[in-house]
Amino acid sequence: MMKKSFIVLFVFAILANANGFNPQMQQYINQLKTQAQKSKSNFVDFSAKRGEQIFVSEHIGKRGKNISCSSCHSTNLRQIGKNVHTGKSIKPLSPLANAKRLSRVKDVKKWLRRNFNDVYKRQGTAIEKGDVLYYINSK
Amino acid sequence: MKYIYLVVIFISGILLASDVKPINNQLALKECGSCHFAYQPGLLPKRSWKKIISNLGNHFGTDASLDKKDEQMLLSYFIKNSSDNSNQYLSRVITRYTRADKTPMRITTGVVFRRAHDELRRSTFLRKSVGNPGNCIACHRTAKRGLYNEDYVRIPR
Repeated sequence: MMKKSFIVLFVFAILANANGFNPQMQQYINQLKTQAQKSKSNFVDFSAKRGEQIFVSEHIGKRGKNISCSSCHSTNLRQIGKNVHTGKSIKPLSPLANAKRLSRVKDVKKWLRRNFNDVYKRQGTAIEKGDVLYYINSK
Repeated sequence: MKYIYLVVIFISGILLASDVKPINNQLALKECGSCHFAYQPGLLPKRSWKKIISNLGNHFGTDASLDKKDEQMLLSYFIKNSSDNSNQYLSRVITRYTRADKTPMRITTGVVFRRAHDELRRSTFLRKSVGNPGNCIACHRTAKRGLYNEDYVRIPR
């Protein structure tokens, strides 16, 4: 009986981890949450659904043309994307298809800074960043 | 017998010599290569790299900004290996044919690039399998090794 419940717990732990972030990333998510709470008092948690809207919606980007995150990353994050400007292929964004994704905070911050600028011509808010990270992590 | 060995070494040396020094820097490979073919520093003079790398926040219309430390490391690598600091064949040609009063921002608009590709139509560069003239590796399959010799070219359909 004891053994069985351990196995069940173990399986749950693996499943929970599969959809979670590594410790370094979780710390960054927590920082974003603190910022989010400061800017919005009724903030509860980030939302993958809001993140999807941020990801797929088109905006006049840095180059003055309509662009979205999915212009390069496509809407299937487990597939290879393509940089619309250079034609170079982009490895999948989903951590399930590419274990390197959402693993290093330095890289995550770098790409959020660059890509919000390219698509939205501004920096993302803490809530927007968290929403997008939840979305990517859920795919 | 000894003589034959020397000849073999000499000939393979010629065959394997690169036109520009291949990139041997992980930061450069990662940061440049995540969006486009990682052009070797020996393809432009150092004044060009200074201008390009100091303006990564607006890199041909895209935000390619790095943190200050990485930017400095990238810049010093590119300066150290720029065409005017290199003795390799193609680097020397590029240095010689780039006007001293000009700071080219693109490899593909330089005299050397244009002369070397003057038999090609623009439509060839724009076909789907190539994309644009800056996609060296589409035709120069040995480009990563710094080999741009015509013998290694295969233009995709």
